[in-house]
Amino acid sequence: MIALLKPFRYMWGYLREISGENAYDRYVVVHMTTHPERPPMSRGEFYRHRQEEKYNNPGNRCPC
Amino acid sequence: MGNRLGRYGIWVVVAIVGAVCWGMLALSRGETVNAGWLLFAAIASYAIGYRFYARFIQTRVLETDDSRATPAERLNNGRDFEPMDRRVLFGHHFAAIAGAGPLVGPVLAAQMGFLPGTVWIIVGVILAGAVQDMTTLFFSMRRDGKTLGQMAREEIGPVGGAAALIAVLSIMVILLAVLALVVVLALAESPWGAFSIAMTIPIALLMGIYLRFLRPGRVLEVSAIGVALLILAILGGGWISESSAYAGAWTFDANTITFALIAYGFIASVLPVWVLLAPRDYLSTFMKIGTILLLAIGIAITLPAMQMPRATQFAFNGEGPVFAGSLFPFVFITIACGALSGFHSLIASGTTPKLIQKESQVRTIGYGAMLMESFVAVMAMIAATTLDPGVYFAMNAPATVLGDTVQSASQAVNGFGFSVSPQTLQNTANAVGEESIVGRTGGAPTLAVGMSAIFAQVTAFLGAGLQAFWYHFAIMFEALFILTTVDAGTRVGRFMIQDLVGNVWRPFARTSWLPGNLIASALIVAAWGYFLYAGVNDPQGGIYQLFPLFGIANQLLAAVALTVGTTILIKMGKLRYAWVTALPLAWDAAVTLTASYQKIFSPDPLLGFFAQRSAAIEAARNNELFGNAETQADVQQIIVNTTIDGILSIIFALMIIIVIADAARVWFGLVRGTKEPELSEAPWQESHLDSEGREIEREPVGARS
Repeated sequence: MIALLKPFRYMWGYLREISGENAYDRYVVVHMTTHPERPPMSRGEFYRHRQEEKYNNPGNRCPC
Repeated sequence: MGNRLGRYGIWVVVAIVGAVCWGMLALSRGETVNAGWLLFAAIASYAIGYRFYARFIQTRVLETDDSRATPAERLNNGRDFEPMDRRVLFGHHFAAIAGAGPLVGPVLAAQMGFLPGTVWIIVGVILAGAVQDMTTLFFSMRRDGKTLGQMAREEIGPVGGAAALIAVLSIMVILLAVLALVVVLALAESPWGAFSIAMTIPIALLMGIYLRFLRPGRVLEVSAIGVALLILAILGGGWISESSAYAGAWTFDANTITFALIAYGFIASVLPVWVLLAPRDYLSTFMKIGTILLLAIGIAITLPAMQMPRATQFAFNGEGPVFAGSLFPFVFITIACGALSGFHSLIASGTTPKLIQKESQVRTIGYGAMLMESFVAVMAMIAATTLDPGVYFAMNAPATVLGDTVQSASQAVNGFGFSVSPQTLQNTANAVGEESIVGRTGGAPTLAVGMSAIFAQVTAFLGAGLQAFWYHFAIMFEALFILTTVDAGTRVGRFMIQDLVGNVWRPFARTSWLPGNLIASALIVAAWGYFLYAGVNDPQGGIYQLFPLFGIANQLLAAVALTVGTTILIKMGKLRYAWVTALPLAWDAAVTLTASYQKIFSPDPLLGFFAQRSAAIEAARNNELFGNAETQADVQQIIVNTTIDGILSIIFALMIIIVIADAARVWFGLVRGTKEPELSEAPWQESHLDSEGREIEREPVGARS
């Protein structure tokens, strides 16, 4: 039963990864090691930043 | 010996399978050819290209070095620089390069038969398109993710750099206009389509609020909600189109939709991204990947036969009703993105190079993702060519040639040398839940009819009559991501204008400054809006006139990327392997310049813009009609359009000549030794990550005594 679920678990993990859902958690880890003196951005703030950056950059999506 | 056989034996089998499939495609004597042959010919060719040619480029030409830290590792900040798992990055990169081009181009190129387009989609990607993506990705990665424009400036010079920038901006404008045109043509006079697409706006607003205020960053759940609402919107559209009370209210002509789109593009560019653009982008990405998967499964299950002949007479006489010009160069111009897409070099030098874990992964991500894109183009070709050729031409010839009724369209198709009964045309329209399918140019409706036929066959056990749902599902999927492109493209174009003007007048460059935002947005929307309007009202057919320009522009950008690549290879001391990018460049330049030459100088008014212009002027002087014009105003419109299109062709051709000439100057200097090869690569640093991105455990220095 558990073995049967494995591909779905993998797919779910992949989807979470690719949609950027756990990007924030990873960011916090990196931030804590590189700048432990400053508090990291909040979740909302982090995604706001990311979005701005993404859509202000011509290399983000191919229109064709 | 045995080891060797084991290693290469499988590849001998793959090569034989591929050769047999290609043989069936080219030589089979049957009435029709099954799409399965095409599918397997493509897969076998990709496998060989990826295993041997891409590997050769990786190990011999680029010499990727996995002990060298990538910018993602060196500059990791958890935000824009970050080592990302190669499978996830592959997904990201593919989602970023996959657009409407590989779906639309092959459908239009199908007017020449299935073989010419297919050969280029497969051969072109292996030898040119995927090579461009992979090398650009590698060079940008070695330069900490510099953009194509910056690399052109640094490696070639300011002239080449400026030409690249102008090329990108003008491509953007023509691209957005052509893609918007595809949407307008698909939604005009279709209450079902118009309603379901309009509903995506409130759905996106809702998702935006959810993501911003309720559950930040929870992309999956909000996308699931969005897709569910989207399906409801498609079902609702079916209900609207059958209701006598609402069908009329949701039926719009092409011009109304054009102005709605222009207004929408402006608003979307001015608004903050979280309101509309970002949520729509999530929706369209999931829809895009999902639908492409469905199509692959559908084709694999149904294995349809291709009805279109191998090559039609239009491949040779250049008089096709979908676009003018013969096989060389126009099939290459029309296929565009599925085989070689210049715009990908912007993606490959944008976000992706900042996320690569290991240098060797440029092969999987750059080359591999482009092979996938080409496979999407192959599927689009299959979907279009499984249609009855008569239906295909009745959908794709300009409306002015076909007339308004199924009878006149049937006659026009007979004139092209194919046959279709008026009854068949009406039945097809009924099956997909549309009033008429005659003259629905732009490629999207044709693809949707082909796709819906395949899906309907798969879901036949659920009952008949599902084709109309699948047709509108396909239209929704295409329109949704084209509109997302229009939003995103307008916004990027706006930033490019602000950046350009900002060089002269500082405050303009501040993207948060509202007047600058409004003016730049208005400029870019006006530019593509003009071409869109002209295309919608072009008596000669907007797609017929503008699609070749779009193709030329995209191939021009590919020439810039390949020129930059060749320059860097020479600087790296790889002159002996410079043909890897130089040969595709030579081919691309030949195609683009021949196409431009014909568009500018051809004396045939069907092909040459200026020949068409003089003929129209002549006709106006004698108070006669010209081409497909029905009134004198139409003739005037043709004169204006051909003037502008002709001038654009000249600008595009000049750009490519300037970039290549400027680079050739640098190449000669390097080869003759009068120029020092200065590489602007970031310096070597040792990597501390293994091939799965884990930190390598190291014994601290001096621990061992």
